[in-house]
Amino acid sequence: MTDEDETAFDEFLAARSTSLLRTAILVCGATHHDAEDLVQHALEKVYRHWPRIRHDNPEAYARKVLVNAAISRARRRRVVQEITFARPPDTAAKSPDLDLRDTLIEELRRLPPKMRAVIVLRYWEDQSESATASLLGCSLGTVKSQAARGLAKIRERMTVAEGAIR
Amino acid sequence: MKTEEEAIADAMAAHVAGVHPGPTLGRDVRRRHRARVLRFRTAGAALATALVAVTVPALINSGEPPKAQHAATGQDQAVMDLVVVPDVVGKPVAEAVQTLKQAGLVVEDPETATDTGSVRVQAPAAGQEVTMGTNVQLTVGREPSVPQDLGDLGDGRKLGGIHVGYLPDGLEWGKWSGKNGFGKTSYTTTFVEPGQPEGYYAVQVVVFAGEATKQVAQRLVRFSEEGAKTVDIRGKEAYLADVTEGGEVASDTTDNSEGSTSTIGWTLRKGLAVEVFISPDYAKKVDAAVELKKIAEGIEPVK
Repeated sequence: MTDEDETAFDEFLAARSTSLLRTAILVCGATHHDAEDLVQHALEKVYRHWPRIRHDNPEAYARKVLVNAAISRARRRRVVQEITFARPPDTAAKSPDLDLRDTLIEELRRLPPKMRAVIVLRYWEDQSESATASLLGCSLGTVKSQAARGLAKIRERMTVAEGAIR
Repeated sequence: MKTEEEAIADAMAAHVAGVHPGPTLGRDVRRRHRARVLRFRTAGAALATALVAVTVPALINSGEPPKAQHAATGQDQAVMDLVVVPDVVGKPVAEAVQTLKQAGLVVEDPETATDTGSVRVQAPAAGQEVTMGTNVQLTVGREPSVPQDLGDLGDGRKLGGIHVGYLPDGLEWGKWSGKNGFGKTSYTTTFVEPGQPEGYYAVQVVVFAGEATKQVAQRLVRFSEEGAKTVDIRGKEAYLADVTEGGEVASDTTDNSEGSTSTIGWTLRKGLAVEVFISPDYAKKVDAAVELKKIAEGIEPVK
């Protein structure tokens, strides 16, 4: 690695690491700490091949490593605590919007990891269906069906939440 | 009204707004990279040293009469000071560094040697023979330690008022336990394959007592409706199903790559229920349904 490579890598980190970390948090549905560990894992791979890939969309490479590691981790970790979905009865909703957001994030966490990744890539990162398929290494059809099913679940949830607010 | 695409995008944006990587990210990534490279170097260095070792006697003996000469054999390598690497995984860093020092090894990276946290990975591994003075690479875990709500459970088979009589061969206690993570009152622990990385499991057992037992009773009803198979465990009806992360029975049409967890759950008696799951990783090695049934049949209430 030349000094120039090192500097370019630092610039890459400054520009892209926040977005990678946010994606990791959303995809693995876990803690900041876990997400940061995943980001470091992905970036180490990027760093290892930096001189070769720096001119060839290193971000897409990082994202691919990250998302796939996040899916596989979410699937295999033991469960220390079951996420509780029900709001305790004595805490009133602060505002309908906040309440709906919380509900949606909870719902997102409940989705199977791959479906969650599709939702995050499609609707948060605004990736196209084909870019999402290539990032996840699956077919276009899978992206379409997973996105549709994920949204359907979220729609159900929104209906329930809005019913409760009224 | 917002569409669900907009609503979820909005919720996701709000959820991660304000999240930023730590200021040491660049350093951490390079350190990780160094840790990886060093491991290769350590292996290379050991090989080089061994070659030197066999040539040393020849040099020493060069002025001696020929009878003192001998061919380089494996024995010559014993001239080197070899030490056995002690096991420091799980120890606090300071203690690990001390133990390694006493064994004649060093931890060169000053950042690692003065780190707080405990050792998650060591290289070279425990039990390997290396030359004295070899650098040992430690990977330090800063992850908050897993809960130890029930203390030392010995073999881990007795918790929350039950005894686990059967486990697949080769599993050992995962050395942690949680209380009330699955509702009040509940207890849980895992059993792992030796050497499995921290955080992973082979078999997890959850005991539900009091109020929490309702969950199992409700799941028995719901899972049956969702098409789960029920089996008989010592005269009690149990659900035996592949459950998705969202807590639903995985249907036949579920894409297998989505992953699901093989789960069995039943009520032993009033106020006491159990759920056991086998991790997707371990399920590739054993017949999860068969093993779950065997584990369930071996679980008994204890006083």
